Amino acid sequence: MKFLAILTGKLIIIAGNIMQRGSSLPGKLALKIDKNLLSKLKYPEIRIAVTGSSGKGSTSSLIAKVLKDNGYKVSYNDMGSNLTWGCTTSFLRKSSLTGKIKADVLVIEIDERDTKEMFPNLRPTHIVITNLTKDQPPRQHHIDNVYKDILKGITPNSKIVTNIDEPYLRSFERDTKNEMIYFSLEKNKYSYKNQIFENLNTYYCPYCKGKLEYEYYNFETLGKYKCTKCDFKNENAKVIGSNLDLENETLEINDNKLNIGGNFLYHAYNTLASFTTLKDVGLDEDKIIKSINKFNDYSTYSYEKNNKVYFPMSCKAENATTYNGVIFKTIMNKEKKDIIIGWKEISRRYAHFDVSWLYDIEFELLNSDSLNKVYAVGIDAENIKKRLVLAGIPEDKIIMAESIPEIKDMVNKDEVKYVYGILNFDYIDPFNETFKEEL
Amino acid sequence: MKIKIGHLYPYELTLYGENGNLKALKYALEQKGIEVEVTCINKEDSFDIKAYDFVYIGSGRPEFLEEIKERLEPYKKDIKDYINKDKVLLATGNSIAILELLRLYEIEYYDKRRVSDIEGTTSLYNGKIYGFQNTEYLIKTTKNILFSLEKGYGNNETCMEGYKKNNFYATSIIGPILARNDNLTNYLVETLIKNKKEQE
Repeated sequence: MKFLAILTGKLIIIAGNIMQRGSSLPGKLALKIDKNLLSKLKYPEIRIAVTGSSGKGSTSSLIAKVLKDNGYKVSYNDMGSNLTWGCTTSFLRKSSLTGKIKADVLVIEIDERDTKEMFPNLRPTHIVITNLTKDQPPRQHHIDNVYKDILKGITPNSKIVTNIDEPYLRSFERDTKNEMIYFSLEKNKYSYKNQIFENLNTYYCPYCKGKLEYEYYNFETLGKYKCTKCDFKNENAKVIGSNLDLENETLEINDNKLNIGGNFLYHAYNTLASFTTLKDVGLDEDKIIKSINKFNDYSTYSYEKNNKVYFPMSCKAENATTYNGVIFKTIMNKEKKDIIIGWKEISRRYAHFDVSWLYDIEFELLNSDSLNKVYAVGIDAENIKKRLVLAGIPEDKIIMAESIPEIKDMVNKDEVKYVYGILNFDYIDPFNETFKEEL
Repeated sequence: MKIKIGHLYPYELTLYGENGNLKALKYALEQKGIEVEVTCINKEDSFDIKAYDFVYIGSGRPEFLEEIKERLEPYKKDIKDYINKDKVLLATGNSIAILELLRLYEIEYYDKRRVSDIEGTTSLYNGKIYGFQNTEYLIKTTKNILFSLEKGYGNNETCMEGYKKNNFYATSIIGPILARNDNLTNYLVETLIKNKKEQE
């Protein structure tokens, strides 16, 4: 059965016409022939699984690139799909007909809800959990469901690499006996003392349910916390990033500068997750930094046209944290600005119409004198407008439109230098096609 | 005129943009020139329901529901008095399971979550109600219902949804139901104004 399953999968992979990015068909068929195939494959000695609500793609990709750069033979699901079928396809791509995956290291990005099937088969040496946040409520319901799914799959000898700045992630330390390897980002020039976001997941200690107190916040519930009732606190992370500089896209680890490959806070955390994992795998610190700095090259997402600077910023619909992240970035610029908010569709997975997640986003932070106009664009323009009005933004500053090309002339005539796009990923191309072309 | 709003346990009941309801209500009241004071009541705080004109309770992670139900047990009589005095209490999403403690209705737990768009009507006003359901609890009782549904799961899986007694409104619809339904918000605004005038 195993042989037939592998052979079928490999033949389909070879059939060039279905060799599309992210194809999960070979894995699906192989698992249909042998449903226990995943338990029969021979995996490499080092097996790194990366999961979380967001950031798992870039974190796993960086880990794989650095390993390859340092001479390791790597199996990685870089063709797209992170669900069980897609992961299986990526294994088949690198496996012999006897099921031995021909690599020194397996790096695999796994959807957080598929970890419970994948982990027991893979028995990862390292489980990297980038974060757990509110995400796709109709699918996930709430964060505890995702947590429980991941917990179910965790194998006894796996080391868990995660972010100590997020108190909710300490639940893994509470509920498992696994070795925890934490990373942290020190207080930096963007940290703040009083909470600016509402409707967050965690306000209480995961151990005793006492109220958490913060010395500073880096973002949402990330920061230097301690419990007001027990001795639970954020201390003794194994890897600590300091001197975050988003303008230059760098942070420091042990006085060495590290490129973070972008100018958002999540770039810093994802890079720290990658660095921490690679260090524990046994790579030399200097070599990791050298490789990370090569791959995390300076990559600002903005561009200048017609005396304006455009910032297309990608978010994930139904994930308030990604929107809060770009809002946090937007308000760092105190200059007068236009903002464009919109998406093509909320979900590709289901046809439900749920806008509750819009109320988990802190649009209130955009309401300041530096806001010139805000454009609510796309199928949900009215709902976006309603949310902005309830965030206190004056109605005469809000303009609704059906598409981005429709607002092109208005935006370009506005007397502001900065144009921020707070967009679902499916609106990044329309934004760039509209504003990046020759004016 | 000043309306005092109490938001129950916003640090624990934070699932689905629940405070959008208070943003919508506050905005509608302020548009009428009414002063609004919103107080967050968390588990460290004492809860004096008499001090409020409107109390809101929203959806939370299941681990908190039973704990909050126990926490509110000593306030049961106060909450009932509040309802009997026609003051406004709104419960959305799975907080209907917390307020089962009032013994006004029974609750049914479903292993398989009920997820659906909501479309229906209500006797509170002429017009539709829109919303979203993402819940493991529905009210079992089909008396004193709040909404008649054309789409969605009603009490005991009928087309009748929610519970109403005086100005206590309980619904399994999640999130910012008031932000999506101006009619419902306006109805509550008028009720609050009427209540306030009667008090004065």
